[in-house]
Amino acid sequence: MISQLLSILVLGAMISAVYALIAIGFTMIFGVGGVLNLAHGALIMIGAFAYLGLTSSAGALSLPPVVGFVLAVAITAGASYVLYAGLVTYIEDNIVITFLATVVVALLLTELIIIQFGAEPSQLIPVVPGSIYLEAVGTRIRYVELVAFIVSWIAIGLLWYYVTKTDEGRSILATSMSTRGAELTGVDLGTVKSRTWLIAGAFAGIAGVFIGTLQSTTPEMWLNPLALAFIIVVIGGIGSIKGSVVAAYLIGYLETASIEILGPSFQGVLSLIVLAAVLLVLPHGLYGRELVHE
Amino acid sequence: MFLGATGAAAVTTSLAGCLGGISGDDDDVFRIGHLGPTEMEMGRGAARSAELAVDELNDNGGVLGRDVELLSEDTGGEPTEGERVAENLVQQDNVDLLVGTFVSEVTQGIIDFVAEVDVPFLITGSADPDTITQNHGEDYDHYKNIFRTGPINSDLQAEGMADYAAHLNDEYGWDNFSILADDAAWTTSFRDILPEQIEATEGLSVVHEDRMSVETDNFTSFLDDADDADADVVFRFIAHGGAAGFTSTWAQNEYPFALEGVSVPGMSPEFWDATEGACLYETTSQSGAGGVAPLTDRTMDFVDAYEAEFEDEGPPSKPMYMGFNSYDAVLFYAEAAANADTVDYESDLDAIIDAMLDLEFTGAAGEMSLYGPDEEYPHDVRETRTADGVISNFPVTQWQEDGDDGVVECVYPREDATADHVEPEWL
Repeated sequence: MISQLLSILVLGAMISAVYALIAIGFTMIFGVGGVLNLAHGALIMIGAFAYLGLTSSAGALSLPPVVGFVLAVAITAGASYVLYAGLVTYIEDNIVITFLATVVVALLLTELIIIQFGAEPSQLIPVVPGSIYLEAVGTRIRYVELVAFIVSWIAIGLLWYYVTKTDEGRSILATSMSTRGAELTGVDLGTVKSRTWLIAGAFAGIAGVFIGTLQSTTPEMWLNPLALAFIIVVIGGIGSIKGSVVAAYLIGYLETASIEILGPSFQGVLSLIVLAAVLLVLPHGLYGRELVHE
Repeated sequence: MFLGATGAAAVTTSLAGCLGGISGDDDDVFRIGHLGPTEMEMGRGAARSAELAVDELNDNGGVLGRDVELLSEDTGGEPTEGERVAENLVQQDNVDLLVGTFVSEVTQGIIDFVAEVDVPFLITGSADPDTITQNHGEDYDHYKNIFRTGPINSDLQAEGMADYAAHLNDEYGWDNFSILADDAAWTTSFRDILPEQIEATEGLSVVHEDRMSVETDNFTSFLDDADDADADVVFRFIAHGGAAGFTSTWAQNEYPFALEGVSVPGMSPEFWDATEGACLYETTSQSGAGGVAPLTDRTMDFVDAYEAEFEDEGPPSKPMYMGFNSYDAVLFYAEAAANADTVDYESDLDAIIDAMLDLEFTGAAGEMSLYGPDEEYPHDVRETRTADGVISNFPVTQWQEDGDDGVVECVYPREDATADHVEPEWL
């Protein structure tokens, strides 16, 4: 029993960090632009497949994993920016059209990836190979899980510093509080949004490589993270970075505990129950505030 | 209620239409309909292999002087789509023979329709024994146009797997076995029969059993449980894409047991690349032995022909098990038809059936003959046995090292082995 709890504690901490990255990107884009980016999962998929294409030993490049990781993150950030500048910026005022357009982008990417890589799942080369056996805990942790945990927390820490201590970052926070207020104080909305999409993309890229390594890399891999992002963001409070981190840990632990105690088929069930409860009791989420209507 | 009634009416109409309209023998072309999920490597390999068999027949004068034409349809692995394409093949294209179906649920979905229209149907992918026992076993005359020419059904596969467990015990002294099976129809025998059969060998025990949802892509807890139970060998029966994740979780964490059983994705010649080599040391049983061992005089000619023909057309680079079975099925039927001197199933179905039941045929995957009407598995392919009585037409292949690359070797039964079984280096 003790070992089961320890194992939940350790495994849950690892995966939750990655979930937090996914949710933060999703919530920032919503907070700043009011855009529900349903292609967010697809960005995660781009990260995984970019890494696959760059590092796969059967591929043309076969780059070292660390180089591949950095490039995959950069590519995903770029893709995110292109999605914003090439499409969303023209339609973002119409919520329904943005909603539909981003789904279409996700489906389109799925098809492109099937054409390029095929529908069979692929495994990624771990950024760091090997694992440690925690005998007392009765489970094993892959080094790549540790790396995922550390890298995710570094990324979250850097973002926290950026949005609270630098002017550029604070303008993102200001915009998510009140677009009009930010504009009145001289914030250039276009730049802020571009920056937000770049950051969200980079986070999605990091998450993509780790999700792709720890689970599997398939053309359908975007669905699950997107659903998770939704659940986490609603529970944490839409637009709140702190809420996303807290809710990501809540969901991550719930999932891990369900897997350990009830079995893997129950992975998502508890999260959905919590989601329903939060919607009923705390419609604005843990750290949410009522949207400012202008 | 309304929808249900309409559906029933539609089925009745279409059946009536086809019963009156079928005329499979009214021209000089012998048409074969092949069914398989061709978006998967398994289905693609099978459709290509059927094509090779058809080319071979045409080069040798066709079937009873008729040209042979292949119509390949994608079932998408879905029962509803399977029914649709099977109906089209029979009613629109007037095929004279149906071959294929990979997913057990698809086979079961079309079987009543096929039994109704009497078109001979040779199953070449799905191994579920119920398909035979619950149809032919209950109403032989109705289902007598349906056969399975390969693979051996999963009751027999389970028996072969138990033989293999005893073999592993001889080689390494492994005596604790874990069984992890997909929660799907095809694994029923492995869940119900295999534990007992393994334990029938003195000293062997099954210490852990579980079933895995086909949606799962997180296998850590299953592998932890098998480890806690002190398993020496995990027999996993997995047919969906998550197999690659299963394999890498096992390999990267160096779990202290061997990975054996059946992994359908693991049969892909491209699995080494797909898992970045994590599949090293894992094995799978598969008819045809991955095309690496000369099981019969026909095996390597077939594999060479496949490689020459489809070299540039993408994966799979070898036929895979359903490819062997579809290739064999087409040639098997052609020979039976030649012996019966008819392909007119409408008037001569019994003559064709008798010819098939009498036929002893050397296929690419092994020696083929069928169980008779009064036996346990009517119209199912018989298992073949080695001199020691061990089932031999469900060989085991292993991914082994070949420089920086991986290579598939046949490791069991000994008579067909191209290499010795290798245990994971971390054990």
